Amino acid sequence: MIWEVFRQEEAGDYHTHCGNVHAPDREMALLFAEIQHGRRKPTHSLWVAPKDEIGEVDEETANFGGTTDKSYRWAMTYQNIDAAAEEVADSEAEQAEADRRRRGD
Amino acid sequence: MDVETVTERAGPREFSPKDDMPEEYRKAATRMIQFHANSEIMGAYLERPFIRQAPSLDRKLAFSAKVQDEIGHGQLLYRAAESLGIKTREEMLRELEEGKGKFLNCFHYPMDSYVETPMIAFFVDGAAMRRQATLKSTSWEPYAHAMDKVCFEEGFHVKHGEDILRELMTGSRKEQEMTQEAFDEWWPRIIQFFGPTDEQSTHHGFAAEVGLKQMSNDQLRNAFLNAYIPKARKYGLEIPDYPRIEKRDDGTYEVREDDLDWDEFFKIAKNDYEPGVGQIDGRKAAQDAVEWVRDVLDDYEQTARGQPAAAD
Ligand SMILES: [Fe+2]
Ligand SMILES: [Fe+2]
Repeated sequence: MIWEVFRQEEAGDYHTHCGNVHAPDREMALLFAEIQHGRRKPTHSLWVAPKDEIGEVDEETANFGGTTDKSYRWAMTYQNIDAAAEEVADSEAEQAEADRRRRGD
Repeated sequence: MDVETVTERAGPREFSPKDDMPEEYRKAATRMIQFHANSEIMGAYLERPFIRQAPSLDRKLAFSAKVQDEIGHGQLLYRAAESLGIKTREEMLRELEEGKGKFLNCFHYPMDSYVETPMIAFFVDGAAMRRQATLKSTSWEPYAHAMDKVCFEEGFHVKHGEDILRELMTGSRKEQEMTQEAFDEWWPRIIQFFGPTDEQSTHHGFAAEVGLKQMSNDQLRNAFLNAYIPKARKYGLEIPDYPRIEKRDDGTYEVREDDLDWDEFFKIAKNDYEPGVGQIDGRKAAQDAVEWVRDVLDDYEQTARGQPAAAD
């Protein structure tokens, strides 16, 4: 049975997918995950989940973000406005970064 | 863990559902996150009519996106609150419809005219964002994670709100006057967003000690005024004479608390304020109207798990 492994580097971080292991049950999956994925990379916690229990949808079947122009959803669209405060500017920077990566450049 | 240990360890994203947290912490966190979640929902309902009433297609689309976002924030936050093990999401939603759930003072007031929309979408969202940015460092990890996503999205809300304000204040004389009138009316409520000054705030002490809250009401209000008073002036809005706000030598502000209507504020806090009661009931009606959708989903969830629907 295959178990997907999610590693959290530090307390408070997100658990992000880092690979998978073969194991007969959850307990052993955790042990193998610890050995394979928790030894060298900084690790605070690991999750395992049976591969079959994970659902997936990818860009072959879904249009993430839709197909129409939704620029009204982005802070960058309101170009004539200077961010009122630091946190607004931070949010806009995060959105700009996400948009750039979504477009693949 | 006892409260003493919690206080010692309290830091950003320090505690998660894995930790054995004392009831006092879990209750305080639930109160805070449930209030936040309720406010997202009630705010969304207040703005919903403007998906239709906004004057251009762009604005309609932006309002529909924003309302969707706010409902999504409510969902995220109920999940974060649920993870404390005090109340389920169903319980919290029921409390909201029964008028027991508390939410932000600003969302108890009716919003009838389009010129009022920047009062929420710019000033209230701006104030909320100030607070939410600090909550990225709250000690309850699921709450902080919800704030990551919320803050990511909110930049659009605040800028969209400001763009409406800019448009109105560069519009016709009539539009400018109506916007100023709306501002006069909303300004004291916006100041009250941050609650009474620290000395009078009842829940601040404990929430700050255990790291749930990162900044005091006064600090937040100050930071807000610092950024948003210049913005209001930039668009030609006149800051109302009351409440009197004086700038201290160190650049911080002193708001004369006596100039604000605290009777109304506390009436609102008890969900006794008339327009707010109507808004709670309005949301309940909307909730009831789609009850059948939730029922169908619940039944399906039971059968999809291989259990007959009537099993429990
Ligand atoms: Fe929100
Ligand atoms: Fe918002």
